[in-house]
Amino acid sequence: MGFLKVLKKLRQKEREMRILILGLDNAGKTTILKRFNGEPIDTISPTLGFNIKSLEYNGYTLNLWDVGGQKSLRSYWRNYFECTDGLVWVVDSADKMRMESCKAELEILLQEERLGGATLLVLANKQDLPGALSSQEIKDFLQLDNIKTHHWSVVGVSAVTGDKLLGSVDWLIDDIAKRIFTLD
Amino acid sequence: MSSKIGKINVDSTSNSSSNPGTKTITPSDVLAFRKISDDYLCSPNANIYEIDFTRFKIRDLESGAVLFEIQKPPSEQFPENTSSEDVPDEGNPQEVDPNAGRYVRYQFTPAFLKLKTVGATVEFSVGNKPVNNFRMIEKHFFRDVLLKTFDFEFGYCIPHSKNTCEHIYDFPNLPPELVNEMIANPFETRSDSFYFVEDRLVMHNKAEYAYDGGLM
Repeated sequence: MGFLKVLKKLRQKEREMRILILGLDNAGKTTILKRFNGEPIDTISPTLGFNIKSLEYNGYTLNLWDVGGQKSLRSYWRNYFECTDGLVWVVDSADKMRMESCKAELEILLQEERLGGATLLVLANKQDLPGALSSQEIKDFLQLDNIKTHHWSVVGVSAVTGDKLLGSVDWLIDDIAKRIFTLD
Repeated sequence: MSSKIGKINVDSTSNSSSNPGTKTITPSDVLAFRKISDDYLCSPNANIYEIDFTRFKIRDLESGAVLFEIQKPPSEQFPENTSSEDVPDEGNPQEVDPNAGRYVRYQFTPAFLKLKTVGATVEFSVGNKPVNNFRMIEKHFFRDVLLKTFDFEFGYCIPHSKNTCEHIYDFPNLPPELVNEMIANPFETRSDSFYFVEDRLVMHNKAEYAYDGGLM
């Protein structure tokens, strides 16, 4: 394989982004994934493994990995950290009971070395539900302002209505692209 | 099963006559293939991880329509057979495959070849062992013309998990003469699907495609 060919291969690989979607069970990870890809969201059952979507978006190949959030599955999350460019942390903004455990799980992830280079997008999901905490309240509760190790953003979204979802993903893609594709 | 423009024929007769040979098949071997393989390159017993494909779906991204979906009933080894008279008898004895359980025939209408963007979903379950470095390489040919190669690394699969993967892709832009040839020559469009775990071939499935549905 010639040098040019090697370069070309690297370049092709560079246009790929790996995005990991995590969060507690019932946060709406799969619904977000399906909404983003224009699929019906009426029959979604708990994810007992992963759901992957591989697609072209804004000139990039996105590989989106949604891994089940049940307690018994969380110890397997680490198997999916490698090469992650973006971490989407999905929060059920109406589930105040479990906000502490939501915060604790995110803190563990942020200390993870293999996620060190990843941009963090926190989606305060279920904004359509009455009583849902706002994105500002989620930001305060999760103490996102303390994060110095990752580029991050928090956006209030609704996977059901699709509100603000595309814009937040665009921010994520943009941030990743700026960080890793600037050597061109 | 819904099949607006496609239908499926799955022959579930099992057969033990496969001959995997002794050579170890690697991902780079199959990536280099320039035509459909003549034989199965591993034995059905190579699937020691109990990887089981349970659903297959194709949707049209433009219209959102599900063009094709087949789901394996939980209790069955293979999807429900459509009646065998649906299998067009081409009078070509080489096409009768002894490894029928790993072989599927799809019948589509010509409209299928006009689609712009499609999403192909597979759903699979794995057994009680964790699966590392799970990788799929799928090659589609019309005769000896390579139409498309998928090469995707699933990576790790959780024991007893059920997983899905959808590839959303633009249909390859095929010259009209080639499209006409594909329609005129049913089941000469073929694919090999190779599944590797830690670079070891654990499954090999074959499919054949016709695009003349509704023309006969």
